[in-house]
Formats: sequence, structure tokens, C-alpha cells
Amino acid sequence: MLMDFPDLFALEIPHHTVSLPALTTLDLNIRAGIPSPHLITILSSISSAPALDSITLERECFCVDLSYQDSWVDLDRWLTRMAEHTRVQGGLSVILRGWPKGGPSTPGFREGCR
Amino acid sequence: MQIHVQRRTRRPPPLAMNSLPQELIDAVIDNLPRSSLFSSSLVLKRWRRRSQRRVLERIKFISEDQVDRWYTDFPQDPKGIASYVRFVGFQNTIFPGNLATFGCALQNLCSLTTLWVNGMEIPDELPAQIPRMEVWKRIIILRLWSISSTLTTVVSVVLSLPNLEVLSISRATAGLGWPLSSHPVIPPHRAPLDLLELRGDDGGIGRALTRSGLMSRHLSLDVDHPDMDQLIMPSSETLVKLTLYGM
Repeated sequence: MLMDFPDLFALEIPHHTVSLPALTTLDLNIRAGIPSPHLITILSSISSAPALDSITLERECFCVDLSYQDSWVDLDRWLTRMAEHTRVQGGLSVILRGWPKGGPSTPGFREGCR
Repeated sequence: MQIHVQRRTRRPPPLAMNSLPQELIDAVIDNLPRSSLFSSSLVLKRWRRRSQRRVLERIKFISEDQVDRWYTDFPQDPKGIASYVRFVGFQNTIFPGNLATFGCALQNLCSLTTLWVNGMEIPDELPAQIPRMEVWKRIIILRLWSISSTLTTVVSVVLSLPNLEVLSISRATAGLGWPLSSHPVIPPHRAPLDLLELRGDDGGIGRALTRSGLMSRHLSLDVDHPDMDQLIMPSSETLVKLTLYGM
């Protein structure tokens, strides 16, 4: 399990994992302004998505709750692993929709992705 | 001496609009707001058909009277303006169990591709009616919002539509399960849906569709769906796009 993403052991590992060999697009609509621990658990259940070439992160709220900073760290870590393991030529694209430039909670994964 | 009086009637100058090619007229009409389409249908005869087609490509019934009037005004005419309808919506329209009204409204819509049902009860008798009506074979998009029904009925309706490509179910209240022996199962060799969207599902419908073997290329789900992994698992080989909402 999790052979493609060994570093994900640092995250909460769900009981069931799934390989998505045809998945090319993942859209995440973060309404609450923060990625929930539940989302992290779901994403961590994806053991492999080698064809993934685009992840869209859409935010509808810009409230910041420092108590949830760990969620951003976990999401950053997951996105970075995805970017490292994609087999798509040109790498993984992360599209930020509804994010203010230079606003709070800017995730660090942007530096790790093209 | 004879005087000849000649009367010359002045011909109206040719309308510039009459010389426009039909493709250009169609393009103009296609870019008009819906509120202008009644007026545009009165410009010239050449404007009428396209304007009417756009007016009538989406219709919505919000009362049973409207359904009756539609059936009376546009009876069996497969080439009439009822053939322009591609989308039909029923909102809080049909009394529970009144299949006759439902059937009347649908039967002369020979171009129908999208059915939207909002705030209605789906009668348990509907799945048995579907194979008898040609119109259901043409439906490729089905949107069920705020419906109430049994799980058996919802899944049976979905599986009865042979050409369904997009299924969207939102805030449905589905009661009662069924014994495993009578569980509806998807026919063999059925292609995956292009989109399966479940919003506001408490798990019942998602679980029932999953158990039936329905697969999809695009799943659109609430992130807190109680059976997320069970929904993704059957489509794992075919899933191209995953959309998660509301985390």
C-alpha cells in the first residue's frame, strides 16, 4: 500500500486506499476557508494517480483560523507528493481559483510545483 | 384629347434584413437574451423558427394546469414546436402517483434530452412505465433535486435509462431499502456515466447506486459524504475527474 507515496505515512492513513490510474483532474472546493482533516484523510486514501496533471483549489472564504494551520501543512505535503510522483509530461499543474495575491494562508506547495 | 392617368404604386424598399443569409440570422438569434426572443420571432418569417426553437428548447412546468395546457395546445405533432424542446423541468408539479400527467407531458417531446425533476415524489410505478415510452430512451441528462422516493425506485429509474450520460441527484430523501435478492443491478456492458453528481446525500442513494454497479468517469461529491471511498472504488479504473465540495 502507498508504494507510490511512501512519505504519506506522515499523514493520517485511512484503512482503505484506492489507485486511480485514469484520473487526470482533481477539483477541490474549499468553502470553509481551510482544508478539513476529513479532506486530508480522503486525499491520503489515493494511493496512486499517475495520470494526474491538474489540481484546482478553489476558495470561497478567506477567513483564517490558526488552529487549523496543520491542515494547510498536510495539504501542502500531499500536493508536493502528487507533484513529485506524476508521470505526466510537464508535471502537475496546481490552479488557484479565488485566492487573493499575497493573501493569508498562501500554501507553500506553489514553490514545489511548476 | 385623352388623358391617361397612370397610378404608380410605390414599392416598399427591400428590407436589408431580407438579404441576410440565414446563417447570420441564426447567429444573431442565438446571441439574443431570452427576453428578446418573443420579439425576434415577429421580425420576419425567416426569424420565427429559430426564435421559437430557442424559446422552447427549455421549458419548465410549475403546475399541473400548465402540463394540461401544454398537452392540449401541442398535441401529437412530431414536427411541431413541441419538437423544439430539449430540456423539460417539473417543479412541485405532479401530484404523487399521477403518472398519466407525467406521461402526457413527455410523450410528444421527440427531441428531449434533459429531464429535471425538483421537489416531487417519484411514484413507484414509474420504472415499469419507462420501457413503454420511447421518450425515455432519448434522455441523456437526468437531474433529480429534492425528490422523495424509495431507493428502489430511484435506482430502477436510473438503470432503466439506456443512454443516460449525466446523473445529478441533490438533497434527495430516499426511504426504505430493499432485500438483497431484489436489488437492481446494472445491465452488463453498460458504459460508465460521464458525470455522477451527488450533493446533500445522506449516504443512502450513493450506497444504492454503488451497489448496483454504476460507474462514472467524473464524480462530483460532497467531501463529507459518508460513503466516499465506496463511491470512488467501483469507478476507480474509469475515473478521469474527481470534484470534492465543501471541505
